[in-house]
Amino acid sequence: MRVVIAEDLVLLRDGLTRLLRDNGIDVVAAVEDGDALVHAVLLERPDLAIVDVRLPPTFQDEGLRAALEARRHVPETAILILSQYVEQTYARELLADGRGGTGYLLKDRVIDIPQFLDAVRRVAEGGTALDPEVVAQLFAGRRAADPLEQLTPREREVLALMAEGRSNAGIAEALVLTVGAVEKHTASILAKLGLAPSESDHRRVLAVLAYLQGRD
Amino acid sequence: MLIVKPLLERRTYRELLFLAGGLPLAGLWLGLMLAGWISAGVLAVTPLLVPVLIGFRGLTWAGARLEASLASSLLGVEVQPPPLRAGAAGYWGRIRGILGEAAFWRQQTYLLLRMTLGFGTGLAAVVAPAVSLGLVATPITYRWTNTNFGSWHADTLPRAFALVPAGLVGLVLSAWLIRAFAALWARLAPPLLGGSGETERSAPDPSSVFRAALPYDAAFFAAVNLITLVVWALTRRAYFWPEWTLLPLGLVLGVHAWSVVVMERVRARRALLIHAGAWLLLELFLVAVWAVTTRAYVWPVWPLLAFAIVVAIHAVAEYRPWAGRAVLTERIGVLTATRAGAVDAAETELRRIERDLHDGAQARLVALGMSIGLAEQKLADDPEGARELLSEARLGAGEALRELRDLARGIHPPVLSDRGLEAALAALVARSPLPVGVSVDLETRPPASVETAAYFVAAEGLANAIKHAQATHVEIRIGRDAGVVTVVVADDGAGGADPAGGGLAGIRRRVEALDGTLAVESPAGGPTIVRAVMPCGS
Repeated sequence: MRVVIAEDLVLLRDGLTRLLRDNGIDVVAAVEDGDALVHAVLLERPDLAIVDVRLPPTFQDEGLRAALEARRHVPETAILILSQYVEQTYARELLADGRGGTGYLLKDRVIDIPQFLDAVRRVAEGGTALDPEVVAQLFAGRRAADPLEQLTPREREVLALMAEGRSNAGIAEALVLTVGAVEKHTASILAKLGLAPSESDHRRVLAVLAYLQGRD
Repeated sequence: MLIVKPLLERRTYRELLFLAGGLPLAGLWLGLMLAGWISAGVLAVTPLLVPVLIGFRGLTWAGARLEASLASSLLGVEVQPPPLRAGAAGYWGRIRGILGEAAFWRQQTYLLLRMTLGFGTGLAAVVAPAVSLGLVATPITYRWTNTNFGSWHADTLPRAFALVPAGLVGLVLSAWLIRAFAALWARLAPPLLGGSGETERSAPDPSSVFRAALPYDAAFFAAVNLITLVVWALTRRAYFWPEWTLLPLGLVLGVHAWSVVVMERVRARRALLIHAGAWLLLELFLVAVWAVTTRAYVWPVWPLLAFAIVVAIHAVAEYRPWAGRAVLTERIGVLTATRAGAVDAAETELRRIERDLHDGAQARLVALGMSIGLAEQKLADDPEGARELLSEARLGAGEALRELRDLARGIHPPVLSDRGLEAALAALVARSPLPVGVSVDLETRPPASVETAAYFVAAEGLANAIKHAQATHVEIRIGRDAGVVTVVVADDGAGGADPAGGGLAGIRRRVEALDGTLAVESPAGGPTIVRAVMPCGS
């Protein structure tokens, strides 16, 4: 897997590079601003770009915009946004094009290396990785008298993990269940929420997110 | 050939034109200076002084422009007179602005030189070649003129021809003379007429200038009157004519002394008081004139009435009945602006803290987590690598702590609230790479807000000196005087600090929110002086 990193703080850029290389991921470029990111993506055609939201010169959402710009030129690039804090708006903008290969994680998640690597691989392969914080925000924003109320506590747990972008196998592992049990739960959830079952994990995630964001 | 070179060059003739121009211009400048200073002197105690001075300044400037263009085109020197300065506001401000302008005095010096020295050089530059030409032409003109040198008469052709070589030598010498004079003027013109790139020094405090001038004024008064009295005593003593120097000079001295007293003692409504005092003295002067002259008809009553009306109008304008409201409105304006500034300052500060956290401690903790995570991965099969990562992590944790501590100190140094300014500044100075002199002269501790602001003025001034000014020494002085706390940070660095720049603008807003003022003096080339003055209640 070939990865480009865009992060302005040397400490984190070097740390990430080492972390990925130690785990057999090929870091082909590590840059420090948005323009350099677009350039590196055009040049290297990586599988994945890991991007800090705040990059010079504006230190606002420069990284997010540069990543989307890069993907306009090279659509097959997967994007994993890392940020010091999560904003639902950023997540929505990132998912707006409905394509796979999108992730949005808190920088804190890097610390749990196996989980982080799992998210990196998932996104690079066209899947989704949303930070549990984002998902929690999506859950918190729901109205009362909501179909979510009909879900059992276990089903809500499964739904949250689905929204994070995990596959049935990943959910089973996280909740210490059998894959079969998870499949039963997901079918039930999709039915209760009125969503069509889907073969592709990614499309299922998008449907769930769309539902949670309240725009069917 | 070399010796006649100036005679053959066009440059010499341009220079001759410049020098000859000095003859009519000398008369013009004499008229200008006399008219300017006499009218300024006569009207010195009336409000008409301001328009007269402005007109005089403008004419002097125009004269300097004319002279500068002559010097550039005829002498070939680079002279660009500085642009006419916009006057300051207010009666005293305008007078101070004009009289305190160095360019005005330099230009007058030049005009004065042009009218004295210039007349001499002009005359010499015209007369010398004219006489030489006359000598050269003697063989033609000897029949009609009567050229004598003492008892020696050029009355025959051979005798006339004998004068031609003298004339030729005279011409060559004239050319050299013109060269020399022109060189002199080419050296005089640029520094006197040009801006010479110097930054005009800011006008000194008027009251100090007035105070410094008072002894001279008094000495002048004493000297002139002593002379007149002595002369009077030694002569017939019939009529006491020295009163005509005693009275007017006394009037000038009186107005001067009154201005000094008012400016030093009185804080508010100085203009009105000086105005009223000046009118009163002028009226006394008129009464005295009346008393020593005819005494027939009490004419000073009319100027007295006129003065009273003028001063009354001034007083009404000063103590506007609507002033209470206007003052309040102004105060509200100031408060609104400074409060907005304070909010801005707080906002900027919060953003800085957020950035410091984001780039500093937060990033360090993430990196720390990564190192520990990697170490965990390596524990089984690469214990040496894991150990390295862990010691890296430990260093990172120390760095993160240090950054958090610095950040906390940047928000509010704990020692400031515990032990006060002196201790906080000592800690600040101990961390500075530059030698810093600190003097804190406070009997009691000022209110916390003033103390904090004073600390940050010092910290920011010091940080600027370290970062930008290439200073070798910094001096921090904090003192309290008549209800205000003054903080001065002076360095001996390169100057050029931008008072609107981030850090300085931030502390300015902080100081202004406390009704204080912040002044930054930082001419290019240094030194930089940052001065904050904040009221502190008592």
